Amino acid sequence: MAVRVITKIFQQSNYLGLHKGTTQTFCLPNFILNRPRFQSTEVPKETRPTVRTTNDLVKKNLSDFGRYVAECLPKYVQKVQIATGDELEILIAPDGVLPVLQFLKDHHNCQFSNLADLCAVDVPQRSNRFEIVYNLLSVRFNSRIRVKTYTDELTPIDSSTSIFEAANWYEREIWDMYGVFFSNHPDLRRILTDYGFEGHPFRKDFPLSGYVEVRYDDDKKRVVVEPLEMAQEFRRFELSTPWEQFPNFRNSAPPTEEIPLNKEEK
Amino acid sequence: MATREASKHATKIVRPLLSSDKSEAKKRVLNLYKTYYRQIPLMLFDRHLPVTKEECQQKLKEEFLKNKHVTDVRVIDMLVIKGQMLLQEIVTKWAQDCHVMSLFKDTVEHKQNDFLSKFINSNDSQ
Repeated sequence: MAVRVITKIFQQSNYLGLHKGTTQTFCLPNFILNRPRFQSTEVPKETRPTVRTTNDLVKKNLSDFGRYVAECLPKYVQKVQIATGDELEILIAPDGVLPVLQFLKDHHNCQFSNLADLCAVDVPQRSNRFEIVYNLLSVRFNSRIRVKTYTDELTPIDSSTSIFEAANWYEREIWDMYGVFFSNHPDLRRILTDYGFEGHPFRKDFPLSGYVEVRYDDDKKRVVVEPLEMAQEFRRFELSTPWEQFPNFRNSAPPTEEIPLNKEEK
Repeated sequence: MATREASKHATKIVRPLLSSDKSEAKKRVLNLYKTYYRQIPLMLFDRHLPVTKEECQQKLKEEFLKNKHVTDVRVIDMLVIKGQMLLQEIVTKWAQDCHVMSLFKDTVEHKQNDFLSKFINSNDSQ
């Protein structure tokens, strides 16, 4: 039986091109050698660019829409720009948060009925150091828009919970992390930090290690909070990420393209 | 030029946080102080804290006097808002006993600042 199997294999190997015989060096048949995985490891040159291409038609529609919003709300819109090719940004005065959001939500040509995100950015160099960013989504027109405004530590911003219910927790988060006060918020209190926590952790001047440390005290039978003490060797922090992907573009702002507005005619 | 800049800065109209003038801000601070003061016996009744009523009152006064130097109305308002939030946490019992006691800082060792004790206490090996 075994002999028959071996002879069968030899016959087949002859058919397949293994005609060198058993004494010769082993060699794979050609139809296997021609497969890509057995060929050289050289990668073919990538010819398509890996950056996202922008559609001129989309861009034109967006800039037209941005100009339309600026014409409808000339009092509040300060600047309209397109970031990274196809993201429309509207920069408004802090007084105009409610009118602009109401317009974008309820106007027939906008219908941005969905507040996708609301967050803040801290830039300590500016006189109005906090940038508040509203990301809106229009399900009706399948489009997104970003509304940006600014404030400082003590100037309150109108709460947008009367327009978007979703803003409630986002505004609590901004209050907790940055200390921006939202007037007329129904329930403004801390959301992420512990009770009794002092300071606003996402501010750029808040140290990475914090100001206090928390431990369980055996004598007191409770958790105690004490000011942080660190040995000298632990006070050095490496803040840059080890996975930096684009070091050449470390300091460059995202490519924004301002849309010129004709402010004269009113 | 400098004077013009200064006058521009002085006449800058800011949006009020809560109070429009100083007397209103003062009223808010006194109101908050009284509310805290009245809350102390209730708080001690509700919780098992290792402090007396007098100590709490002393601590309350100390915490308010810590910000005695503040004159900006908006900063006072911000402090009042934070004080109200802390009061809410205490009254609704979101803050537990350890959070209330953390205000007293009774485990923090007072460090002496003269040269010799600094030298003796220093652990820095480098």
